[in-house]
Amino acid sequence: MDIDWDLALTSLWPLIQGGLTGTIPLSLASMALGLVLALLVALMRLSSNRIASGIGRAYVSVIRGTPLLVQLFVIFYGLPSIGLTIPPWPSAIIAFSLNVGGYAAEIIRAAILSVPRGQWEAGHTIGMSRTLTLRRIILPQAARVSVPPLSNTFISLVKDSSLASLILVTELFRQAQEIAAFSQQFMLLYIEAAAVYWVFCLVLSAGQSRIEKRLDRYVAH
Amino acid sequence: MISRRLPLLGAATAIVLAVAGCGSSASTESASGGASESAGGTTLAEIQESGVLTVGTEGTYKPFTYHEGGAGELTGYDVEVISAVAEKLGVEAEFEETQWDAIFAGLEAGRFDVIANQVSITPEREEAYAFSEPYTYSNGVIVTSADNSEIASFEDLEGKTTAQSLTSNWYELAQESGAQVEAVEGWAQSVTLLEQGRVDATINDELTFLDYQKSTPNEAIKVVAETEDQSRSALTFRQGSDDLVEAVNTALEELSTDGTLAEISEKYFGEDVSAE
Repeated sequence: MDIDWDLALTSLWPLIQGGLTGTIPLSLASMALGLVLALLVALMRLSSNRIASGIGRAYVSVIRGTPLLVQLFVIFYGLPSIGLTIPPWPSAIIAFSLNVGGYAAEIIRAAILSVPRGQWEAGHTIGMSRTLTLRRIILPQAARVSVPPLSNTFISLVKDSSLASLILVTELFRQAQEIAAFSQQFMLLYIEAAAVYWVFCLVLSAGQSRIEKRLDRYVAH
Repeated sequence: MISRRLPLLGAATAIVLAVAGCGSSASTESASGGASESAGGTTLAEIQESGVLTVGTEGTYKPFTYHEGGAGELTGYDVEVISAVAEKLGVEAEFEETQWDAIFAGLEAGRFDVIANQVSITPEREEAYAFSEPYTYSNGVIVTSADNSEIASFEDLEGKTTAQSLTSNWYELAQESGAQVEAVEGWAQSVTLLEQGRVDATINDELTFLDYQKSTPNEAIKVVAETEDQSRSALTFRQGSDDLVEAVNTALEELSTDGTLAEISEKYFGEDVSAE
């Protein structure tokens, strides 16, 4: 196999475009929704209300115990049989957010638990309510602790979003498959897609260290 | 900030280039080395020595390659044809099941010696691969949902949405007809999308449609048009598998003469599709 450099160059922009218009928006939207869900679930699991913590635990268990691809297929191909036909993009975002929610909930729960008990007591001593202590003292510190594992989740999500190609969403990998099918240059296009994913993830990792530094100011040392 | 990121990107680019460079030098070596291991074709001698012909097939394309009752033995028209061919060559056929979109990549990577999966002969594919003589002749059909009244010919596909496998010749046909194509993994998924109203049509082999209707009568879909040209399907090899292709052609010829192909064909389709 000789490398077809012309094809490598002409296909580069479509791949990046697939990343910018498919992979990245899909990942960002799912991450944002997933985080909201995760915070909710983490608080449910930490709550003293048995029912709330039970629901939270069941949700995390189901999400972590089933493959993402299966979740995607259930939502896209399965739900129409009960009359719920969701278009490809929303289907993908729903599946990915639910998935991120399950994993990130555990991260956030652990991060909240990692804040020393004394911080709760300090808040109580100066007359803050539980909610206010959580919001103003605990969560900012937990946020800093959870940045590295949450970044991990996000980077996994960016790569997992290639699964959306299987439910008709055109993103980076689907773009590569299309060009490969047309040119029969599978090795070239798949390596190129891998390289583009990698560069995307490098840039995102750089963003992670900035967020870490910024949140450092909240941490009680 | 910029000065800190640039070296990162620079390093990434350098490594990518290095990887690409390795690829190119490795392939030059194997090409100049002559007897290439996996990237080149398979020779008859290699097969006979190992006693095994490795066959790439989907295992999900009824009635050509599928599992009995869904989870049983791998069987089907293509599976039986290639098994009969392997027997003539005095070797065992070993099947590697791969989804359609990965099947040509798998062949090129040397994961199998031959594809037996209703690969239609097209000019583009003839440039990239070596084909045996055809062993199936059939028409393509446009399938729509039963209540469709807008599509009655290939011209009507203009502006409509169809579901096709990415690397299939039906995908190209749909595009040439002006349809917007959604890429799927195979027939089953296409039918699902059609029933769910997510696409307007799908083009596929008439034989697939007939078999599907026979095994799971489905009044929700119908055929509205048929291609004029017959498509011809053949066993597909990597370029450079010359003597193997020749031996396979001889085997196909013998199987045709002694009636084996017609018999397998009758079993699956009730008619002989192995001859023009």
